[in-house]
Amino acid sequence: MSLVRKLPWMPVLALAAVCLLPFIAHIAHFPYLVRVGGVVGLFMLLGVGLNFTLGYVGLFDLGYIAFYAIGAYTTAIAMRAHCSAPTSIALAVLVATAMRAFVGVSILRLRGDYLAVVTMGFAEMTRLTINNLDGLTNGPKGLQVSPWRPLGFLSSDPNVQFYLLIMGAVALSVVSARRLEHSRVGRAWVAIREDELAARLSGIPVNRFKLLAFTLSGVFAGLGGALFALWEQFVTPESFVFWESILIVSIVVLGGLGSVLGALLAAAVLAGLPLLLQAKLSAQWIDYRYLFFGLTLVLVTLFRPQGLIPASRRKTRLGP
Amino acid sequence: MTPNRILLEIRNLSQHFGGVKAVDQVSFSVAEGEIVSVIGPNGAGKTTFFNVLTGVYPGTHGDILFNGQSICGCRPHNIVARGIARTFQNIRLFPNMTALENVMVGRHARTNQMLFGPLFRTRAFTDEEDAIEARAAELLDLVGLRAMADEPAKNLPYGVQRKLEIARALATEPKLLILDEPTAGMNASESTDLVALVRRIRESGVTVLLIEHQMRVVMDVSDRVIVFDYGVKIAEGTSTEVVANPRVIEAYLGKEAA
Repeated sequence: MSLVRKLPWMPVLALAAVCLLPFIAHIAHFPYLVRVGGVVGLFMLLGVGLNFTLGYVGLFDLGYIAFYAIGAYTTAIAMRAHCSAPTSIALAVLVATAMRAFVGVSILRLRGDYLAVVTMGFAEMTRLTINNLDGLTNGPKGLQVSPWRPLGFLSSDPNVQFYLLIMGAVALSVVSARRLEHSRVGRAWVAIREDELAARLSGIPVNRFKLLAFTLSGVFAGLGGALFALWEQFVTPESFVFWESILIVSIVVLGGLGSVLGALLAAAVLAGLPLLLQAKLSAQWIDYRYLFFGLTLVLVTLFRPQGLIPASRRKTRLGP
Repeated sequence: MTPNRILLEIRNLSQHFGGVKAVDQVSFSVAEGEIVSVIGPNGAGKTTFFNVLTGVYPGTHGDILFNGQSICGCRPHNIVARGIARTFQNIRLFPNMTALENVMVGRHARTNQMLFGPLFRTRAFTDEEDAIEARAAELLDLVGLRAMADEPAKNLPYGVQRKLEIARALATEPKLLILDEPTAGMNASESTDLVALVRRIRESGVTVLLIEHQMRVVMDVSDRVIVFDYGVKIAEGTSTEVVANPRVIEAYLGKEAA
């Protein structure tokens, strides 16, 4: 009884929408829709992950894709070393998070544009290293990953399986983000974004909390990378170019800095819409998808600089 | 509380920026429960002095003893943890956070939940959260802002923002509260309000050190006044002693006046 009343309607609706998509794809004879759903899910995961640093703390992080790549390659290498898929995923999360902490320690004293340049540099370094480390990564030829079929009891279609698994990961990231947002840690993060000096002089060890957000966001990059590698069964350096970093940054900015809901919506628009258009429109239109992307950004910056769904602040729970 | 116990002792403190001696060889002490004003012409080094005191600048020479322990070279958040809180000359709130949240941030140093508590909604976490919110609401009451608790700080009028900053500073449970020009930009009645607030804060057991330009406020509220000019302490005493001091008059009005 009380459980039913307590049930918040937003997550329930989201769950319903997520579960409906494969049926819609089936009825409409458009199985590609499930693949689009999976890709959108991965970008949602990355958007929510990057929102920890870029959204809450305001760290201009242009190299997030590097840790997605590290997650994907760790999984591929672990699978080839005959680890089980769950173990490979765990390893990917661990390695990506550890790398994130390591990089964070060395660069988080930089601010604003300087941080952006260094993180961008790190992402390119990572991609070039993967491209040239033939012994471990097989260079530009990429790595084959042996197939893994999760959630076999729900569907026999691997695309549906991975789509659901990815959405599960998205749910995990959203719940984590929402819970941390309204806690001592989340308030410290936002305070640092709003005014770093005032945060410092309100008793917040600023560098430590920046590092915490930076490291934590590595969990979701690693998890996303792992699911990507297992789903595609193939990883190449091509998948982790700078453009992808820009796309994730755009998702967070377009959604609204610090807004989890905004990141989800922006991921659907920026990652999903071009894929659908690509499938539905004739070849010559595909060339225009970056134009669409650019236009969206310009229009949102002009008319809604606070993002599609601006981050909402909590209201008092105590009576007046 | 023994009224004369020394809370803060400044010994020969200097802060040099290259050849500029922004604060030079300043010494004085503040007893527990006092309200002490620091005055001086613009550029006298008052704000720089406060910045050294709160760990923003490292200090070039000298020492600061707080509760008998040196805090020179401490990081700002450690200084807050030891019991010194401050406000800023140019208001520095968290503009997009609500008034209540601004004060809740101030509880950071006195609380300790990290990731596990909020992620799993533990009892310890919800209890601490409730306590943070209750204390923040109390402080909003103290400065008379309870009705605006849910308003983003950036939407609040100027005078109200100043009070909110004081509430945020008080949330850190300071023994010493440092106010940098708390009445700047306020009209006469708002200043009178603020003086009353500063007195209430002192009565609750907090020692207050403030920079102030409105002489009416200084005369009204301070037990003692310290005068800075060109980074040097030129006078110290009760407000009546200080305004009669020829060196002070010279610093403000020039040699002929003195």
